[in-house]
Amino acid sequence: MKRRRPGPSGVVEAPLNATAQAKAKDEGRPSVADGRLQTYEPGDNVRRFLELLSSRVSRPLAVSLTACVHCGLCAESCHYFLARPDDPTMTPVWKADQIRRIFKRHVDWTGRVAPWWIKAGSPRNDEDLNRLKNVVFGTCSACRRCTYNCPMGVDTGLLVRFTRGLLTELGVVPEGVFNVSRDQWETGNQMAVSEQDYLETLEWMRDDVRTELGDDSVEIPIDKDGCDVLYTINPREIKFDPRSIAQAAKIFHLAGESWTMPKWGWDQTNFGLFSGDDNLGAFVARNVYEAAERLRAKRIVISECGHGYRSTRWEGYTWAGYDQKLPTESVVVTLKRYIEEGRITVDPSKNPDAVTFHDSCNIARSGDLVEEPREVLRRVCSDFREMFPNRRENFCCTGGGGLLSMAEYRPLRLEVGKIKADQLRATGAKLVCTMCHNCIDGLNDLIKHYKLPMRVVQVLELVSNALVLPGKGA
Amino acid sequence: MSGFLKILENEVQIAALIFMAIVYILRLAWIFRFRTRRDRTFAAGRESTGAGYSLMNIAMPGAMESTRKRPGFYAQFVIFHLGVAAAIAGTLIIPYAPGLFERRPSVLLFQAVVAAAFVVGIIRLVRRLTNPVLRSVSSPDDYFSLVLLIVWFAAAVLAMPNQPGKGEGPLIVYFGLTAFFLVYVPFSKICHYLYYPFTRYYLGRSLGHRGAFPPSTKRRVAPVHGEERT
Repeated sequence: MKRRRPGPSGVVEAPLNATAQAKAKDEGRPSVADGRLQTYEPGDNVRRFLELLSSRVSRPLAVSLTACVHCGLCAESCHYFLARPDDPTMTPVWKADQIRRIFKRHVDWTGRVAPWWIKAGSPRNDEDLNRLKNVVFGTCSACRRCTYNCPMGVDTGLLVRFTRGLLTELGVVPEGVFNVSRDQWETGNQMAVSEQDYLETLEWMRDDVRTELGDDSVEIPIDKDGCDVLYTINPREIKFDPRSIAQAAKIFHLAGESWTMPKWGWDQTNFGLFSGDDNLGAFVARNVYEAAERLRAKRIVISECGHGYRSTRWEGYTWAGYDQKLPTESVVVTLKRYIEEGRITVDPSKNPDAVTFHDSCNIARSGDLVEEPREVLRRVCSDFREMFPNRRENFCCTGGGGLLSMAEYRPLRLEVGKIKADQLRATGAKLVCTMCHNCIDGLNDLIKHYKLPMRVVQVLELVSNALVLPGKGA
Repeated sequence: MSGFLKILENEVQIAALIFMAIVYILRLAWIFRFRTRRDRTFAAGRESTGAGYSLMNIAMPGAMESTRKRPGFYAQFVIFHLGVAAAIAGTLIIPYAPGLFERRPSVLLFQAVVAAAFVVGIIRLVRRLTNPVLRSVSSPDDYFSLVLLIVWFAAAVLAMPNQPGKGEGPLIVYFGLTAFFLVYVPFSKICHYLYYPFTRYYLGRSLGHRGAFPPSTKRRVAPVHGEERT
């Protein structure tokens, strides 16, 4: 069989588009005017980049930057390389080497002795920084699959995020990353949802649940003090598909939960994870933690979102320098508890179609939830089947790492999505369930592009379908 | 044994070792200069268990897809590093416990291990030269370190019978290369063993805290009263 020989992806040469940055500066947008969000200024960016690199490296990063032995074992763990096997620039080791060589030249003193001997080097100008931007934003979804497959324990996902953060400080970022960061800095949520839209959508969903259950006592409480659960969501739920809010509200109501949503601090997503901007990460995460504190909630519950879960449950506390005080959990864990405690009753025959589960990278590899969603799905679906590989070895949906917001990398993203598409097709399932909103969009793109006969659902939807309503039987 | 070989086997090795130790101490001091951040979250697992699991990864080829799917690669890794250990041991046995190499089976065992490592070294060199992925990332140091090890293995095989009366050439090459190694290693990729405990510890600690290391399909108890546990 003739081996396919794709040419270079071309992604590395994609130009820097700073139009939105210039516009934001001209308009005096607050996040830019007060310096929270940096814009690109032609000039001495290389010097600034090197200063940031030297000052921000942590010990786990430093050892990841020095320990690689170039064994190449990581290559076949990466969906980019698996889809483009003749392109060495798609391997994790090559991508990590683009920052490693700079580190070795400027920070690692052994590398200064004879830089050429270990391929250490410097970015020469802004064009080189732009190429680095394209590597770390455009050819890696920071899924950390390679991290789990490195014999040395090199955390390439962490290196990629670190490098993104340095470039974000210089405004050398894809336009989409700038726009979403700006919105999240200025509105507290990454889709610039206004408070009015937020509240009206919640009212609309409350009314839908009232109609569905025939029960006017259903509420979606806002800023209610002293509740057991503070429920936080992804702005995508408000903007594009609020049914998940209604499903959660219905389940909370039937479970007799004492819950509320905050008027401010409701966005559990965090673009700081993708842009590498720890300050943005801290700001967004702190909004959620302070909302819980302000409302004296006993638990933070995060709706189904991969990077939102990782950010709010794990990374955000560190970014914000905020010691965790409250249990912080995914709504899937909450659902599992309701089922186990008999607070809701479910009937798996109400979900008769074959369902497979896609593990979100941020939840499975950078978080702790692997078995919980499966335990719920086995209780609410009559035909649950695994895809292979799965759990922490699952492949990225290709929408991770914020790539959905970076239109310039979409063709490559869809091309390398072949690995995921093949995985999905092999299950024969009609539904692919995921507990991540980015995965929903990433998988939907692949389903459309590769013409897969399946639909994406979330755990909440399947649990909601399977509910046995009081007095109505199975 | 000539006076030159005697000095090469003893004083030169000790001086090179001291140099290596000094560079390693400086290296460790450099690593500890970088800060670490405290994890502020409730743990879902044990950091120490995660770190231990991560450090033991070296002995668990089934733990990673990359080695599970390529048992031959893992076998090469084991043989290569056993060869390194045997060749290092040889540099200590010859000057300090020569009696061990007076027994032919001992010599043959050591030679067999090092010879196998030599063959693996050749395979690795061919792979590095022919695999486009490896070529794209390999530095002169990557090639030089590997060639140096291959030559050192060959010298070790020839030197291990330890019969200077039949010619000191193999012993001079073996100990000369060993001394050069001790000086060169801290500046090359070969010193990756110095970093291995750090990378694996930090990765394991972080993922252990989150309950991801060690991977388990054990049913986890849902958090109820603010305490999250496995």
